[in-house]
Amino acid sequence: MYRNDMTRKEIERAFAERSAADERLIQSLQNCDRRHFLRTSLKFAGMAAAASLVPSHAFQLVNVANAATPEGGNPGVAFRFAYVSDSHLYARGMTHRFARAAVKAVEDVNALDPQPDFVLFGGDLAQLGRPDELALGQQILKDLKAPVRMMVGEHDWYLDLGEKWKEMFGPDHYSFDHKGIHFVVLNSVVEKDFWTAKGYTPEQRMAIVSGLDDSRQSSFEVGEPQRAWLKQDLAKIDKKTPLIVFSHSPLYKLYRGWNFWTDDAELVQAILKPFQTVTVIHGHTHQLLTNRIGNIQFHGLLSTAWPWPYAPEGLPAYTVQMFRPDPFNQFDGCGDGSVDVLVKGHVDKHYNLWSRNPRIVTARELAGNSLPGGGYQGPSY
Amino acid sequence: MKATLVAGSLLLGTIALGILGVVAGGSSDVESARRTLVGAQPDWASRAVWACDQRKLVVVEGVRRGEKIPPERAQLVADVLMDLMRFCNEEITVRIGTNQMMTVAANGRVYENYVPGGPLPIVKASFGEPTQREQAIWKAELDKLVAEGDRLFHSDEIGGNGVACAMCHPNASNAHPETYPKFQTQLKKVALLRDMVNWCILNPLEGKELAPDDPRMRALEAYILAQRRGTPLDAGKH
Amino acid sequence: MAAFERRRRRGPGDRLSFAALSALAALALAASAQTLVLPVPSGVLPPEVPADNPPTAAKVELGKKLYFDTRISTDGTVACVTCHDPRSGFADPRGKPTSAGVGGALGTRNAPTVLNAAFLASQFWDGREPTLEEQAVQPLVNSIEHGFANQAAVLAKLKTLGEYPPLFQAAFGSPEISTQRVGQAIASFERTLLSLDAPIDRFLAGDAKAISASAQRGWELYNAKARCNTCHGRIDVLPLFTDDLFHNIGVGVKRIDFPTVARRAAAAVEAGKSIDELALGNAEASELGLFLVTREQKDMGAFKTPQLRNVALTAPYMHDGSQATLLAVIEFYDRGGENNPYLDGGMRPLALTDQEKADLVALMETFTSRDLARFAELEKLAPKLAPK
Repeated sequence: MYRNDMTRKEIERAFAERSAADERLIQSLQNCDRRHFLRTSLKFAGMAAAASLVPSHAFQLVNVANAATPEGGNPGVAFRFAYVSDSHLYARGMTHRFARAAVKAVEDVNALDPQPDFVLFGGDLAQLGRPDELALGQQILKDLKAPVRMMVGEHDWYLDLGEKWKEMFGPDHYSFDHKGIHFVVLNSVVEKDFWTAKGYTPEQRMAIVSGLDDSRQSSFEVGEPQRAWLKQDLAKIDKKTPLIVFSHSPLYKLYRGWNFWTDDAELVQAILKPFQTVTVIHGHTHQLLTNRIGNIQFHGLLSTAWPWPYAPEGLPAYTVQMFRPDPFNQFDGCGDGSVDVLVKGHVDKHYNLWSRNPRIVTARELAGNSLPGGGYQGPSY
Repeated sequence: MKATLVAGSLLLGTIALGILGVVAGGSSDVESARRTLVGAQPDWASRAVWACDQRKLVVVEGVRRGEKIPPERAQLVADVLMDLMRFCNEEITVRIGTNQMMTVAANGRVYENYVPGGPLPIVKASFGEPTQREQAIWKAELDKLVAEGDRLFHSDEIGGNGVACAMCHPNASNAHPETYPKFQTQLKKVALLRDMVNWCILNPLEGKELAPDDPRMRALEAYILAQRRGTPLDAGKH
Repeated sequence: MAAFERRRRRGPGDRLSFAALSALAALALAASAQTLVLPVPSGVLPPEVPADNPPTAAKVELGKKLYFDTRISTDGTVACVTCHDPRSGFADPRGKPTSAGVGGALGTRNAPTVLNAAFLASQFWDGREPTLEEQAVQPLVNSIEHGFANQAAVLAKLKTLGEYPPLFQAAFGSPEISTQRVGQAIASFERTLLSLDAPIDRFLAGDAKAISASAQRGWELYNAKARCNTCHGRIDVLPLFTDDLFHNIGVGVKRIDFPTVARRAAAAVEAGKSIDELALGNAEASELGLFLVTREQKDMGAFKTPQLRNVALTAPYMHDGSQATLLAVIEFYDRGGENNPYLDGGMRPLALTDQEKADLVALMETFTSRDLARFAELEKLAPKLAPK
């Protein structure tokens, strides 16, 4: 909140504002009886135990760092949505570590008070795209109290090219409006056919796509049909309307070797560019990731299942890397989180890291943080 | 070109001589190697071209007595001879087959399948460098072990819960094998790479540890180390 | 894993290594001010000693006297020795889950051992004090422990005890009695309570007969299937069986409603209430562990990994004394701890067989020092224990 170019007076004013804000926060914390904390653990445990979903002694907690700012305390936030992403479920029962982690994320989101307007699922619900894995994921996400918006990832898609997904969750790309923001959900993990010529079976195709470092697959793209759909969908939207785009691949080019990449990123960005405020929220990368290209801000989602190291090249200059996770602790480097949608249309991104102090990346810090050369960290090749 | 002139003069000289397989005082294994080369194809004609030191011999197959060696092959003969001259004291024989594949005999050993345009497999014989064939064999063996390690690294058969090493370590990134030995905080002692591999198998992969000399452990180590060749160290990345 | 960032509320300056201190001490004047050499085995990192409190024989004598002096409590019954008794591995001899102070007031936490505490990176179950000096004076002003209202009351009491001024003179060069000096003297005494010679150490040094076959199997399990070593690992240069970090393993989670308690406690601490009082006096707030100190959510319910030397002597176990025996502790871990939303991601069920559990218990019994007879003289100073 302090910029290098502030005058002393501006700094003093900012400090006074911050102290006042802190005061209000402390006050609100002390007024516990004014805020009610949803504590449905007994009720939830009972229901869930009956459905053999969660162990009976699990319960939810309020996510203190994630709690909404006091009512009226931050007029800049219009609303909030939460996210759970990249759960990579195996259908091996509820005691499997990936299932436990997905349930942990659901509990976190359910404990938010007030509840978010909706929950984004960021893709890669299943690990191998199998119907039983997708069903398990659907079952776990059903316990979310807030409405869920689904987005597809490559691990969900390439066993049957999306048949089961579309049957269970609906179209792979769509748009909706919410409180003045236009949301677009893309299937940005389209790959050019690499399997027919080689005669791969569906399982082989899925196995290849599920290998992050498997170079037999093609690069991710959005593709011409969806780009045409996007152009048409956005044609009726006023340029001043803030856009938020949900995409599994990052919609920019970070590292091709791991498909941290969208082949037609520039073409998609060109379609988005005319709009004043655009934010892309993407999955797939399993780490803290931040970028800005012109007027488009990009935020990565955390995975519940496992963290990834940073790619050998192409890291955006805006990203403050998280330190290497400790593999003894299955939750380290993983988590869930929420997104504050600001009145002005950009977002503050909350990373609720399970074993670390939370991190919040604000729109203001992205907008104000100009880098030499205009602030675009392109791919290194 | 200088080489062409020299080749031309050599051609004249050798055609005039028409000598096959003259050995001017070498050791018996060199001699037998030469006989192997030179006497390999009795029903084809071959021409022998000597270098001026009488120690380098190029045998060109498919040229009958009385025929001239065609220009491209003659150029090749000259190039080979000039290259051989680097090895001043060595006695080296090269057979250029009709398909231009070259076989080289030096220091009592035969080196096969040299392809024109590539580097000559002639080595400073006094140092005993490996032949190209040997190097190819060794590389094939290494690739086999690394490929097996690659397969295990990406498969779910090492662990017990479906997690594969490659999930957290795509391309063996963030494994940093060259930093071992080091104090490994999870083991609370100084570890070598295979100690950490075993710890990962036991812990995040919920599998059974491998014996240190288990072929699977060796394959995994080989794969991890092979990925790091030529990559700079940057903790947390590849 | 939660990492504790030291908060130094008042500060001696930098800490120097003991080696550097020895060099400085060589210039000291009086014989009784000669810096003591602490009994640290070779190859082991010595305890950190604050630069302004090098140990001397006079300070140790003073500290020892203070440690055993039950008059330094509001009802004359409580001294450090009350909860940290040499006859019980320097932990609580009364066998109850938690420790009791003045008037028998029961606290919320199980007193940890003082033996080898000098090696630890922080003191208390929630690591709220970084040094022995700062730890030693806190119980004096806790209403559940020694009972004084504030440090001034402690000093007032001490001033009525005539034998102290000369001891302070010998230790510090002047008869003045201050809280800082009290802490420094007790800490100096505690720094002599070191013991790193147990059968497990001999076994690891190469004596194959030092521990039983069962314990040897236990050691294999400890470093593999039972997953003990990542938090309770034994490092050769610091063989304490602790990582000195903080983890939520779910010990007391069934008892409290985290969100409500957390918010109330965080507010109380922000408003100025002492963490010490909350931790010991409020059974619910006590369960918050490191969260009380850092107010970071990931630290909710996290407690310090205790060192395991002499663990067989310091029953019952865990911060609340809720596990009565070593076997109960093993079974707690075998279950994967107690699930709660802040459970450390390193906890998981172990599927140990009965034999394996017995082997682990046998192993932990080999952590008991062989040289505790060194402290026999201290046992004589300890007060008579009430019949159980």
